[in-house]
Amino acid sequence: MTPALPIAEIWVYLAGSPLFALLLTLAAYEAGVTIYERAHRHPFANPVAIAIVIVAVTISVLDMPYAKYFEGAQFIHFLLGTATVALAVPIYQCWGALRGKVLPLLTSLLCGGAVSIMSAVGVARLLGADSTVQKAMMAKSVTAPIAMGVAERVSASPTLTAVFAVSTGILGAIMARYVLDVLRMTEWWQRGFAIGVAAHGLGTTRALSINAEAGAFSGLAMGMHGVAGAVLIPLVADWII
Amino acid sequence: MIRGFIILLSFQGAGEIISRLLALPVPGPVIGLVLLLVFLIRRRKIDAPIDTVAAALTKHLGLLFVPAAVGVVMFWPQLTAHFWAISIALIVSVTATIATSAAILRFWPSGKSGS
Repeated sequence: MTPALPIAEIWVYLAGSPLFALLLTLAAYEAGVTIYERAHRHPFANPVAIAIVIVAVTISVLDMPYAKYFEGAQFIHFLLGTATVALAVPIYQCWGALRGKVLPLLTSLLCGGAVSIMSAVGVARLLGADSTVQKAMMAKSVTAPIAMGVAERVSASPTLTAVFAVSTGILGAIMARYVLDVLRMTEWWQRGFAIGVAAHGLGTTRALSINAEAGAFSGLAMGMHGVAGAVLIPLVADWII
Repeated sequence: MIRGFIILLSFQGAGEIISRLLALPVPGPVIGLVLLLVFLIRRRKIDAPIDTVAAALTKHLGLLFVPAAVGVVMFWPQLTAHFWAISIALIVSVTATIATSAAILRFWPSGKSGS
């Protein structure tokens, strides 16, 4: 009857609509990007990591269940699929530069992918992580939406796999510069491709913010790893765990 | 902008349909990516509407990962229990993967890469 609602009821209304989750996610990301720019794009000021911490802390403080948050945030999550399709554009842009590089790129991808799985699962097992964790490690170098699909096929938790995939992406975005500098990699296409193999979409975002050619090859690596991972990981999963 | 979205969503939809119809292990968006790539190669150019939307999506790809990654809150007890195992596994794996992929490209014996 009366238009004046107590604050608790307003909160109930907001928590039930997608508005709050959408606003929170966008604002947290914007804050992350602002900090990243202020830090002169320093790899440690990773915008996505900052955004995840802000959102996770906020919903924990508000006692909002993750499922409730995701109900609203799924509209953003859905676009991951569309963004995956859109990666055809950066790949097409470096299409002409691919001549004579197909064999080294394929070898680099397959070896990198194999090392990624074996080292992650191997180290996790060695240090005593349980099989849920080990299984979720398998698809972690593949970009999150594909990794979640692969996780279902190898009976791993899709959410835990996504958490590891994003952690891997962030770590790759942070560490790539140092690893590549130690190896004295000077070619942008080589740097970009290596980042894309290891750190999928988040590595690609980082690479794009540094150099266009690196970004394109990172996108290429991510796309190739997505296709290869989706086909090969379910085939080798039983053999690994 | 709208046209770009229509085109990209159509490729995504086509990918989903093909993936399901043929029961392929590859997710729909990846097939959509391949279809769009083939389309662009045939067409030999990127139309402006596609370019606009694709540039916006790839620039802010990181944002799109946030909702799934916040799922970390659900696994908090398990993650803290295995904190070191998980952290070390991820760090070792990322370093080893970048190093392997990079080294293969750098030392590939074709002489095509820069000096």
